[in-house]
Amino acid sequence: MRIDRVLLVFRKDWLEVSRNWEIMVPIIIVPLIFSVVLPSMMLLIPGGTGGGNTEFGSLLANLPASVQVELVGLTEGQTIMYIMLVYVFAPFFLLIPAMASSVIASDSFAGEKERKTIEGLLATPLSDGELLVGKIMVAFVPSMIVTLLSFTVYTTLVDALSLETFNRFILPTINWVLIIFLLAPATAVTGIALTVVVSARVKGFREAQQLSVLIIVPIMGLVFGQMFGLLLLIPIVILILFAIFVVVDVIILKIGLDMFEREEILSKIR
Amino acid sequence: MASIEAEGLSKRFGSLTAVDRLSFEVGTGEIFGLLGPNGSGKTTTVRLLSCLIAPSEGSARVAGFDILDDPLKVREAVGVLTENPGIYDRLSALENMEFFAEAYGLSVKAERHSRIRELLEFFDLWERRDDKTGTFSKGMRQKLAIAKAVVHRPEVLFLDEPSAGLDPKAAKDIRDLMERMSRQEKHTIVFCTHNLEEAERLCSRVMIIRKGAALATGSIEDLRRKLHGAPELEIQLEEVYDGLLKATAKLEDVKSVYERTRGILIYNLDDPEARTPDVVKSLIQAGGRIRSVNILRPTLEDAYLELTKERST
Repeated sequence: MRIDRVLLVFRKDWLEVSRNWEIMVPIIIVPLIFSVVLPSMMLLIPGGTGGGNTEFGSLLANLPASVQVELVGLTEGQTIMYIMLVYVFAPFFLLIPAMASSVIASDSFAGEKERKTIEGLLATPLSDGELLVGKIMVAFVPSMIVTLLSFTVYTTLVDALSLETFNRFILPTINWVLIIFLLAPATAVTGIALTVVVSARVKGFREAQQLSVLIIVPIMGLVFGQMFGLLLLIPIVILILFAIFVVVDVIILKIGLDMFEREEILSKIR
Repeated sequence: MASIEAEGLSKRFGSLTAVDRLSFEVGTGEIFGLLGPNGSGKTTTVRLLSCLIAPSEGSARVAGFDILDDPLKVREAVGVLTENPGIYDRLSALENMEFFAEAYGLSVKAERHSRIRELLEFFDLWERRDDKTGTFSKGMRQKLAIAKAVVHRPEVLFLDEPSAGLDPKAAKDIRDLMERMSRQEKHTIVFCTHNLEEAERLCSRVMIIRKGAALATGSIEDLRRKLHGAPELEIQLEEVYDGLLKATAKLEDVKSVYERTRGILIYNLDDPEARTPDVVKSLIQAGGRIRSVNILRPTLEDAYLELTKERST
């Protein structure tokens, strides 16, 4: 496999993706909502914490001792704000790489079939490996860049707006660092792997996208688990989830790689 | 020397046999036509020979490389114009060409740029090089698709309906390019077409296929002779009478003569070009008043239609 050829595929696909507003709009809007709109509402609007604490009863009751320590000396309102900003919003940042990677990968794999450009691409002397790695890179790299940028913006914004309330920077925490640098890449790979498998079976970009966003289901499970205190993303949980994601990634990616075969792809052209 | 040697090439998709034991050779520098109705297996044959799909049976060598053992080498040596232009709409013409030139191994920037410019100028696309190809007309897209297929000066070129959607001037440009590539630069060209006139004009040999199997392979002249015999001589006279028929029927090499319609005599001769002056002279000497003289040649279309009709009845 030649890296210059992998980068050639990456550059070509990135040029296409970056000029496609159907792809770029969700990739820009969703992170903006999570990293700017949600924390701003929480911190700038009076009563932005929701004004009630009944939903947090079970969460607060289930908090591990290590987290209870972080809440010592905080008022009820500050506690809710802290839990929201530091814990509840964290799994939302797994939606960013999952969504971005599956949207880009759908366009890159199934989109080429739909636009009938795939045959000309497969006719080139680029190997299956070079094509596949180039296309995985174009889904992985931008989604991780967006995730890191969102995390940076979120952290900066939260710290800047909450400094007066907490008298310290509350982010980043070890949980966030583990989520962004371990779970987020693993989630992005799941989104891509799932899309590669789905794209081999479908004929169009939209079908691939609709099926590959199934990745969002387990992440939403994490969001609700976090919200109700059923599964709090503390380091040990993050590491276990990471291990599970890695195993799932390897299995789905292996299935996807076996399906990425010139003849199989051509047979699905409309 | 053959650039393509196919031996018993077959491709099955489940119970459907798309290509059925094709065996043929295409010489270096030859323009070889693949003719056949829709769904006859032309595109599958090109996909097999350009290593996009693997044969179910049989083998082939393209540009000296085995399609099963060296698919990457084959793909490096061939250029393919697919049924669809395969142009990236969101990239400019130049970006499309850059991508394919690099993918086909033109790694030296100066050489790549000079080749791209040469082709874009040849196809009158240079002025539009920075425009996204999504804004191009069908003809412009087809020209760009051909430009990308030949950017690396492939030893063997597969063209699937190259002049489809082109205006007469662009279609002529492509025919000229094919002839130049074949005659001057000795590239081997295999092209699939429904345009029999174009095939007749360009191809040194053709293969007519139907349901994946070869019905006939040979030069255009071979096919004509095989199916219709030699050309006929048609002479139109003001009036036909027995004396004229008798005077010419006795001539050497005249196999038969009959009056097809009023005033039109048809001569069946071994070599109409050589014998026409003798026939005309005899008719005049016998008092015939000639209006016109034509040599009737069956076209490739006649051969094609007859072949495909025979097998379908």
